[in-house]
Amino acid sequence: MSNMLRVNMSDLSITRESLPEKWARYGGRALTSAIVFDEVPPDADPLGPDNVLVFASGTFGGTTAPNGGRLSVGAKSPLTGGIKESNSGGQAAHALSRIGISAVVLTGAPDDPSALHLLTIEADGTAVLSRVDDWKGLGNYEVTDAIKAIRPTDDRYSTITNGPAGEAGMRAAGIAVSDMKGYPNRFAGRGGLGAVMGSKGLKAIVISDKGLGYREHADKDAFNAAMRRFSTALKEHPVSGQGLPTYGTNVLTNILSEAGGLPTRNFSTGSFEGAEATSGERQREITLERGGDVKHGCHTGCVIQCSRYWVDKDGHYKTKGPEYETVWSFGANCGVDDLDDIAELDRTCGDYGLDTIETGAAMAVFMDSGKLAFGDGKGALTALKSVFAGGEPGRVLGDGAEATGKAFGVTRIPVVKHQAMPAYDPRSVMGIGVTYATSTMGADHTAGYAVATNILKVGGDVDPLKPEGQVDLSRNLQIATAMLDSLGLCIFVAFPVLDIPDAFTAIHDMAQAHTGQKWDVGDLMQLGKETLTFERLFNERAGMGAADDRLPEFFRTDELPPHNVVFQVTDAEMDTLYDFVPETARTMGIA
Amino acid sequence: MNVDIALFASLSGYHSPSVPGGRTRTYDLREGATIADVIEMLALPDQPRIVFVDGRHAPETMSLHEGERLAIFPPVAGG
Repeated sequence: MSNMLRVNMSDLSITRESLPEKWARYGGRALTSAIVFDEVPPDADPLGPDNVLVFASGTFGGTTAPNGGRLSVGAKSPLTGGIKESNSGGQAAHALSRIGISAVVLTGAPDDPSALHLLTIEADGTAVLSRVDDWKGLGNYEVTDAIKAIRPTDDRYSTITNGPAGEAGMRAAGIAVSDMKGYPNRFAGRGGLGAVMGSKGLKAIVISDKGLGYREHADKDAFNAAMRRFSTALKEHPVSGQGLPTYGTNVLTNILSEAGGLPTRNFSTGSFEGAEATSGERQREITLERGGDVKHGCHTGCVIQCSRYWVDKDGHYKTKGPEYETVWSFGANCGVDDLDDIAELDRTCGDYGLDTIETGAAMAVFMDSGKLAFGDGKGALTALKSVFAGGEPGRVLGDGAEATGKAFGVTRIPVVKHQAMPAYDPRSVMGIGVTYATSTMGADHTAGYAVATNILKVGGDVDPLKPEGQVDLSRNLQIATAMLDSLGLCIFVAFPVLDIPDAFTAIHDMAQAHTGQKWDVGDLMQLGKETLTFERLFNERAGMGAADDRLPEFFRTDELPPHNVVFQVTDAEMDTLYDFVPETARTMGIA
Repeated sequence: MNVDIALFASLSGYHSPSVPGGRTRTYDLREGATIADVIEMLALPDQPRIVFVDGRHAPETMSLHEGERLAIFPPVAGG
């Protein structure tokens, strides 16, 4: 039996209820978006008591499904003003599922804004709120230390923590999730959900799953057979079996720079002269020289193992990765070519609880104002610390790229729905431009990773420099991604799934064997469509329209070197991307 | 003709030892040499590849020209 844990931060009551039958097939993103759609008034203040904050494990949470332990965090976003699902690795989703909790739903807001709470969920399912007012202002690493000090030494637990940026209501604030070693280095980074957690007066969640095993399956033998087929596909595909485990996500820096799609110095050119110095290949060399770890999973059951730990020159842990998006945001996008500088910025963002994509993009916008030179990594760290220490740019940096651009008079602001673009320029990777423009999430590469087919030639071949085929590509990927996010699968499984038909069939077979429900393959894609339909309708009711599904104008007017191209997919074609929504809404009874 | 050739990730070690340089090395190729000829010359492993000529994806049947840059990657992804 799956349950929802409801935590009312107004009256501090905690209740446990069964998951409604209408959501029986929903996990992860489908569940967070269904709950937000159902319970949050579209015009609600994202930082007010009418917003909810939902933590949901996917369908495969707590099982041995390879790469099935992702966590979805949902709410109305204070950054975009629309619905948000921010997805994280780490151990929390598995722990919740093993306890039998599909979702934790935070509602309300404290009457006393100075009150700070810790939510503790024990392995037997009991949950309590306790005051931790003296944790106010602590960074994510300090909070996890404080939690360790109060837990039994033989406990097994994971943490979800909020840094000072979230406490301060910054719109670039993310939520940290502990990894397998307990470091708070995995993030539901995007969309300012740390600010929502801060508005609820919740500093941290501890989830103990001590003594709990994997979840039971409706048909154990069938599940295990499908699980083995899926695991084999992940290990045999060259991307998930070799490229990602060896070099991590940052293997992309060199190839995007080569393709002219690596946004450099605030999206002013597409290739970076410092790409080699900040590449995944160089990162691996340095990490190995210093005795760091270059291959592990971000959660139990990951067979891809693209995570790694960066260590300083003395061999001490500094931060995870850094991942490709972070290496880009503070690297090429800021003109910085020193991995130690980038790692220090990553660690500081991690401790503050700031999304590195949004904050790096904001930093590049600040640099574009002329207030700080591109390439000045040490200056960037000082600028980042000004968020709390004062001086320029100050707090506005923590509110993201658009807020920073407006404050400093910069006109080249790479955002959609107020959220900063990640590490692919939409002029030379046009498929990802369609995803940025149309995603319910704002500019988000993970929502429909057209880079795979445009640049990496996984799942087919669509020319990145031409507009043809990009809308169909993005639509199909957005539907498939919403499905994977709902099942709790890491989106990197998409690489083998796109190329190996049996990998997709194995997902279907695992879902059926685990839940005991009859699924057909079409049901999986329907799950993705229903998720997007909740999100699209919520955004429409929150006031978003076609004008919000657009890239900033400079992407159509300013040619991007070295290919000297502009974004060419027409508005009319992009406006067809969600044509499936009205019919899907009718079948769901929510039209 | 001179062509710059760059090899990445797991292909980094396949440069000819007789041609000095780092990741990108300048090779003197015969006129009309194709990308496939380079792949055979360097004895790259028989696996899918991502190939660019001057930053644009290129089929392995394509002929190379003086001054071009050929970049070859193994299957990689991230995000």
